[in-house]
Amino acid sequence: MTAHTSSLSSGVAAVSSAARVSVEAPCGRLSLRARGDLSALEGALGLALPRKVGGRAAAGELQALCLGPDEWMLHAPLAAVSGLVEACAGVYGALPHSLVDVSGREVSFQISGPRAAELLTLGCARDIDTIAVGEGRRTLFDGSTVILWRDAADSFRMDVWNSFASHLLHLLEVGVRELAAEAL
Amino acid sequence: MSNYRVSGRGRVDTARPISFTFDGKTYRGAKGDTVASALLANGVHLMGRSFKYHRPRGAVAAGSEEPNALIGTRRGPGRFEPNTRATVQEIWEGLETTSQNKFPSLKFDVGAVNDAAYMLFSAGFYYKTFMWPRSFWDKVYEPFIRAAAGLGVSPKEEDPDHYASRYLHCDVLVVGAGPTGLAAARAAAVGGLKVVLVDENAEAGGTLLSEPQARIDGRPAWDWLTAELAALKELGVKIMTRTTAIGYYHQNMIGMVEKLTDHLPALPADTPRERMWRVRARQVVLAQGALEKPLVFHGNDRPGVMLAGSAQTFLNRYGVLVGKKPVVITSHDSAWYAAFDLQDAGAKVQAIVDIRGTVSEALLSGARSRGITVKLSHTATGTSGRLRVSSLRVNPVTNGAVGAGEEISCDAVLMSGGWTPSLHLFSHTKGSLAWDDDRTTFLPKDTPEDCVIAGASRGLWGIAAVLADGAEKGRAVAEALGQTPAPAAAQAVEGDRTGSGVSMTELPTDRSPGKAKAFVDYQNDVTAKDLRLAVREGMRSIEHVKRYTTNGMATDQGKMSNINGLNIAADALGKKQPQVGLTTFRPPYTPTTFGAFAGYHRGGHFEVTRKTQIDSWAEEHGAVFEPVSQWRRAWYFPKPGEDMDTAVRRECVATRKSVGIFDASTLGKIEVVGPDAVEFMNRMYTNPWTKLAPGRCRYGLLLGDDGYIRDDGVIGRLSEDKFHVTTTTGGAARVLNMMEDYLQTEWPDLNVWLTSTTEQWSTIALNGPDAAKLLAPFVEGVELTEDAFPHMSCVECTVAGLPARLFRVSFTGEIGFEINVRAHEGRKLWETLWEAGQQYGITAYGTETMHVLRAEKGYIIVGQDTDGTVTPYDCGMGWAVGKKKPDFVGMRGLARPDLVAKGRKQFVGLLTEDKSRLEEGAQIVFDPKQAIPMKMVGHVTSSYLSDTVGQPIALAVIEGGHERMGETVYIPMPDRIIAAKITDPVFVDPENTRLKI
Repeated sequence: MTAHTSSLSSGVAAVSSAARVSVEAPCGRLSLRARGDLSALEGALGLALPRKVGGRAAAGELQALCLGPDEWMLHAPLAAVSGLVEACAGVYGALPHSLVDVSGREVSFQISGPRAAELLTLGCARDIDTIAVGEGRRTLFDGSTVILWRDAADSFRMDVWNSFASHLLHLLEVGVRELAAEAL
Repeated sequence: MSNYRVSGRGRVDTARPISFTFDGKTYRGAKGDTVASALLANGVHLMGRSFKYHRPRGAVAAGSEEPNALIGTRRGPGRFEPNTRATVQEIWEGLETTSQNKFPSLKFDVGAVNDAAYMLFSAGFYYKTFMWPRSFWDKVYEPFIRAAAGLGVSPKEEDPDHYASRYLHCDVLVVGAGPTGLAAARAAAVGGLKVVLVDENAEAGGTLLSEPQARIDGRPAWDWLTAELAALKELGVKIMTRTTAIGYYHQNMIGMVEKLTDHLPALPADTPRERMWRVRARQVVLAQGALEKPLVFHGNDRPGVMLAGSAQTFLNRYGVLVGKKPVVITSHDSAWYAAFDLQDAGAKVQAIVDIRGTVSEALLSGARSRGITVKLSHTATGTSGRLRVSSLRVNPVTNGAVGAGEEISCDAVLMSGGWTPSLHLFSHTKGSLAWDDDRTTFLPKDTPEDCVIAGASRGLWGIAAVLADGAEKGRAVAEALGQTPAPAAAQAVEGDRTGSGVSMTELPTDRSPGKAKAFVDYQNDVTAKDLRLAVREGMRSIEHVKRYTTNGMATDQGKMSNINGLNIAADALGKKQPQVGLTTFRPPYTPTTFGAFAGYHRGGHFEVTRKTQIDSWAEEHGAVFEPVSQWRRAWYFPKPGEDMDTAVRRECVATRKSVGIFDASTLGKIEVVGPDAVEFMNRMYTNPWTKLAPGRCRYGLLLGDDGYIRDDGVIGRLSEDKFHVTTTTGGAARVLNMMEDYLQTEWPDLNVWLTSTTEQWSTIALNGPDAAKLLAPFVEGVELTEDAFPHMSCVECTVAGLPARLFRVSFTGEIGFEINVRAHEGRKLWETLWEAGQQYGITAYGTETMHVLRAEKGYIIVGQDTDGTVTPYDCGMGWAVGKKKPDFVGMRGLARPDLVAKGRKQFVGLLTEDKSRLEEGAQIVFDPKQAIPMKMVGHVTSSYLSDTVGQPIALAVIEGGHERMGETVYIPMPDRIIAAKITDPVFVDPENTRLKI
């Protein structure tokens, strides 16, 4: 494989005593938009869609994060994408909706470690403490739109669009070093 | 003789001596010293020259309000900072500092000739002197003013430090860690509230650091302070020192700058020099304290003349006597205590001179018991001494009459004109102020923010009073946050120095006030006489007086001068101060580096540089890049020895001859899905979409509601309910936002959703007569023939084994395809096509060739050929406007009288008579012989060399251009006038025969 400056390879990007940032392996991503009685879609997906913005649900390897009153981000294994698309297409007549494959659009960083939440304060204006474990938010990091998934008190995933990834990763790398250099 | 350090006093560690240099000479200080305290410990008062008159100056204060002692600091290459306050900069081993604004030396400065000529430099001097002739301004006056005035020298090297920023959320932010702030933080730290306490100083404590005589709850002030800080940490309070709250912004957003390394002898790795904190606090307690006012009298700026409270700070905090024979001149009780402290530390106070006729018996007996001479009802009328004060002239005042003067020999003058509450941050909140006649000062009134102000910053005086007020305000904010804090017992304070004073304008004098150099603003060299002159010359508002005299406009933003300036201006006007007004406090509170504002955004991180998945291939193949909005795009691919023109001509010719390959991934892409997708498209774009069959594409034109072109792009209908919309590269985010805006606010009834797929796809464009031949073998699912897949078709298929969306479109006039594959597969497909294309001599081309090829076909580029005032009709694209549609965005705008009027600028082609290439942006006239200024009738929007046409081509907008085909117009240039013929903008293959496979 050629190393491409414009696409990141998965693996650990930065690590210190404060935090660790790694690039996750590609996964399937679907943007879902729908309104009204969602039961047909929920049947097709095999998952009860969370209704509260920021709320999450999971069924097996399928995860859903509610981003807006009619909007969800779904994560699933790459191999599962075509099946999900087909299943939802099957209920389009009953419940018209938009399900767009955005697997190629984004990459995710995993941000973990004792000061992971603090690392996010370098670029995120919202109060990280208000994102409960097991929730997520669409927000801005260093001026770019990202989705944050809080998987544990000290573990986050950050979904970013490909072309913003190296810029944002650079700030995270600087922050990982800066936090570690701080005397607490 | 030169040692002014007092053993057993101060918080500096004399066991840890530190050497630093000032103007090349090495001095010794102690750990904990600032440059100012260390120089004063060595008997050095002369630290700088003033801004306008180049008068010798020394430190007048001990903190960040210092106007005079501004120095340059250096720490190796690139690490030079001008205008640093010597009273703030902590010393470390090897620190290099220099004085400013002097030539050739601080002690002998030729610029001081300005001082002798001071009568010339009165208020409004620049405006009066440098008016005529106008032509002299740029070349003579302004350079002269800039050279003559000014402070430090701008650094010229790149700053090697790095700067950081963070966001911080807390329940309570307390600004100022003096007794008020400490008490407020303590009271608010209940029920798990997150409390942050910040202070600009190197250590917390505020006035307690200067008042070790006080005992709080039976403990000496410093012991109490140590215990209190430990208790606050225990309660989880975040205490931040060397951190200045620089500005108070909307909804309790406070900007704070933390200085992390300026005090360190060695720079730690990975540590920024400064960090900007953007704090969002639910409640804010402002406890910034008060600043002492100078007295305004002739010679009040001589080195050695300083604020009494600052002298007390230098003694008690730094263990330094600012003089061994000080004299005190005051209108406030506080200076008496400074005199007592200095006397007790071994100085011989020459006299305490008070403007007031009566003072408390306690003060008088304090002076008496120490054997200090007291002179009440006296004024100060002058000082002497060249580089250091050597005497103070005082005169008795009886019933307003100034008696004979008496010189008091001294080596320092400690003055106090009272104290001004610090209302800076409070005023940033748009807080209203109320004038307090008794105290002759403004006090805080109401603020729209969730903010309270406590202690000396609201006019209270004395440690016991501010501790109680701080605690009360701390409890109040905790209650506002739903807590029920326990009532705290009042803390007993012994040795509290309560007191009061009167406020003065200029001190009365027996000499001509017109000749007095009685300074109000030290940093900008503004005297009382200047302020009175400004009023005599007609300035009525303090805002005008300020601008005319520059009072309060220096880097200290009038911390010392504003109130004295106001009092004098009000007196001159015969009005009350509130009627004259107070100038606005603006952030930042103290001078702040550009680095702190820039934070991480410098160098490569200055701005996002977006790259496509194919960018790396372009880089490896020698592409030259250009920025297009946030993207960097391959501009052209020069072969060795080729310049831009040569490379672009080769790329153009090769594409028209065989096949060219182009990375179009940056084009915006939006997936429009839902039962109402077609209705949405009909309303959004000018074109009709209902009859567009799935599998077909159409060029779409997007207008603003004003009827002007905003964006364009080819749109494919993938199924009844699904459109693949493309936008311009720069318009992608804007167009999606505009669509969402209409959808959410105007048409929420439509069942349709928009998803950005710009980055889902890598988009490769193949163009040229061999494009179909090259691509066909890789495509499964559709035959690339004229019948099966005609121009303007789209299909979901497989290309080189990859799932793809294939479009047959052309932005070049050649047979063209755009292949969309999942983003990360883009480079793989590119390489496959590149390899297979070798047999056709495939050529990679960049954005410049793309621009030329489309211009040869007369295709517009939105934002280049249009500028936000161009309609579809102006562009000759009336065909793209659906005539039978009931409505679309911009339809009503298009009907406006001006948009249907004759003589609008219209889009045309231009061919120059002399076959020269026109300059883009050049103006066009009909008659080159008319008088200047000529009537400009349009301009060149695009211009290129064109081998296909055989001469350079240009596109332009010209008044009534569509009716003027074949006419000659003129483009006046600096060296000549170029004639050009108006043509149709389609230069190549107007019949579109080349599009056919």
